[in-house]
Amino acid sequence: MNLVPRIVRPRFWLGLVMAATMIVAACGSQPSGNQAVTFKGTKKVGYSAPLTGQSALYGHAVSQALNLAADDINAKGGVNGYKIEMDIQDDGTTVPQAVTNTKSMILQDNVVALMGSVTSAQCLAESPIAKQNKIITIDATCNSWQLTMESDVVSPYWVSIVPNTYMEGTAAGRLAASLNVSKIFIVSPKYLFGISETNAFVAALKKANPSVQIVNDPSTWYVPFPTNPRWDSTINAIQADKPDLVYSNIFAADQINFVKQALAVDPQFFVKYPMTTLVSVDELNTLGSQYPLGMHAYMRAPFFALQNNNPRLTDFITRYRAKYNGEYPSDWAVMDYDAFTLWAQAANTAKSFDADQVVKQISGHSFDSLRGYKITIRPNELQANVGETVGTTASSSTYPFPVLKDSVNLKGDDLMMPLQMVNEIKGDQCDKTAGQPNTANFALCPSWKAS
Amino acid sequence: MESELAKLLLFTVGGLANAAYLFIVAAGLSLVFGALRVINMAHGSLYMIAAFVTVVIANQLGAGLGFWAGLLVAVAVTGAIGAVIEVLVLRRVYGREHLVQLLGTYAVSLVVAGAVRIVFGANYRTVASPIPGNIYVGTYSYADYSLFMIAAAIVIAAGVWAMLYRTNLGRNIRAAVSDPDLLNATGVNVTRLYTTVFVIGAALAGLGGSIVAPSQAIASSIDTDVLVLAFAISVIGGLGSIVGSAVGSLIVGLVVSFGILIPATSPYSLAFVFIIMAAVLIIRPRGLFGLPEN
Repeated sequence: MNLVPRIVRPRFWLGLVMAATMIVAACGSQPSGNQAVTFKGTKKVGYSAPLTGQSALYGHAVSQALNLAADDINAKGGVNGYKIEMDIQDDGTTVPQAVTNTKSMILQDNVVALMGSVTSAQCLAESPIAKQNKIITIDATCNSWQLTMESDVVSPYWVSIVPNTYMEGTAAGRLAASLNVSKIFIVSPKYLFGISETNAFVAALKKANPSVQIVNDPSTWYVPFPTNPRWDSTINAIQADKPDLVYSNIFAADQINFVKQALAVDPQFFVKYPMTTLVSVDELNTLGSQYPLGMHAYMRAPFFALQNNNPRLTDFITRYRAKYNGEYPSDWAVMDYDAFTLWAQAANTAKSFDADQVVKQISGHSFDSLRGYKITIRPNELQANVGETVGTTASSSTYPFPVLKDSVNLKGDDLMMPLQMVNEIKGDQCDKTAGQPNTANFALCPSWKAS
Repeated sequence: MESELAKLLLFTVGGLANAAYLFIVAAGLSLVFGALRVINMAHGSLYMIAAFVTVVIANQLGAGLGFWAGLLVAVAVTGAIGAVIEVLVLRRVYGREHLVQLLGTYAVSLVVAGAVRIVFGANYRTVASPIPGNIYVGTYSYADYSLFMIAAAIVIAAGVWAMLYRTNLGRNIRAAVSDPDLLNATGVNVTRLYTTVFVIGAALAGLGGSIVAPSQAIASSIDTDVLVLAFAISVIGGLGSIVGSAVGSLIVGLVVSFGILIPATSPYSLAFVFIIMAAVLIIRPRGLFGLPEN
């Protein structure tokens, strides 16, 4: 028996669904925790994210970490009494869209802070916009040292809490030198990050082992970024040159494609041509058991290597996995969570969203981090003394992807650019062409030459 | 000398593998333009859907049998989606200026990209190769799967050529390109013929996505990654010409492969592709094997 005339039924059900949706939405808007938090209003923090394109994997992880951080911050009362909401806009891993997003977030959405994008090319374009509008940017992914030192680029509102290309290249160069190889092949993406990091790698390598030979011509070190998904040419060149070691800082989709295609050419490819490479949990997780073992990896913040006696990180991993379908947090997630909480702490201490006031509470100050140690922001270039982790990939009985065996967490203080050199770069004493800061190279600095 | 010859072979096979990958993707694009005069911006979307379908099925059933099952399902799925796109979108833009067609199919590609992100998520997916071996020629190693891709490209090229020039369907397609009204008057259902052609083009995109899937990370951006080079190939070879697509793919694949071998040309190896494209556009705007539009 029909209790309601058939013609009325759809409306009845529609109304019921809408009512239920509103009730669920209302419940969901309550702050987590035992006590409801009352906010003065809402403030937005912006992030131009590569949710599509070459680095989509990283944008996905960072976005998740930032949303989790926002929840945690709001549960503790927000920032300066305001609820914080993430404003995440897809940039497709392109520079023009990152610029458009940055302008839109600042001018239309009135964000009070930005999180740095993924690629250095994007950050290089975003930094002047943020500087012009006096918006602080906490950067945890793009890492070219030029962003915080080169006089034509540097912004007083740009804070880096990621090991920069000097630090990372130095770590990689020392790692490669320790392997006692004589012939090295270099492959790197052709844009600011790749060039900056490869220069630092070569400089550190040559310093530690002057006799080492780089077998491919410098003009062949760099591949277009983003590149053709086929890596036949580079794989062929490695086979032809027969190096003892391949150095790479290709990442995300490029690294996955390169590894897959190299293993198809020869399952022993990475045994014959061992590799020192930048890796993150994302690449390890994507390839899982297909990721080659024995790779000499350097990583920015692998949770599995930072977890010992680190309850803060363990708690983060547990909550991250619970919230995001069991996904493991990548290095990018760890660092960007730190970036967001660092900014929130500084803004709360400053009792202001004003960039000058917040920077005052960051510069020279120390902050807790998921890394298990306090990080300190050096005032000269607003760079954190964050470390790098090096080790060799090995299968794991705990995780569904390889981890690093015998991993070493290098100290950031041991990797940071000497202060004198920072000042020389900022003072335009290291320019290849005098008066053109964008030609700065630390290897041209008087103090580097003297050392 | 032997070493130089071995190196030449190494880079030639690498270039051919790259060319095969590009041709497999570009073939359907070229067929659709040749027969329907539609620049299909959604071609990469169909390629992407097929890659995802293949990876999901192969990972469920196992890389060997699962891959081939995935390939069949992916081709069927993309063919079916192609039919829907043709009926709902393309029929409304046939005969209109290319800009309208571009915008229509671009809109489809945006819808598909969004749907793929919702269904498959942002994480990359990978699948093990169904042909995992390798062979040695001299001191250099070659992937069996690359050789399979080269063979697949040759079979696809021959198959499409035979379909166009050795079957009734192909005769009708060529007749429709010349004079669709006259063909209609002879009793051939041209509307259905157009749908058939687009379904074949979509299935070719699907075949390309499936074949390429084991060799790279599958993500929601692979549609645009491939479309730029596929269009470059079509412009060089001549939009609408299968032979042109094959020659264009060979030119691009070999230029990229050998470009990196020589230090002086290495930084510009990819740029050469677009320099060649620009030169072709200036000297012979319809491409090396393309026919002038009526």
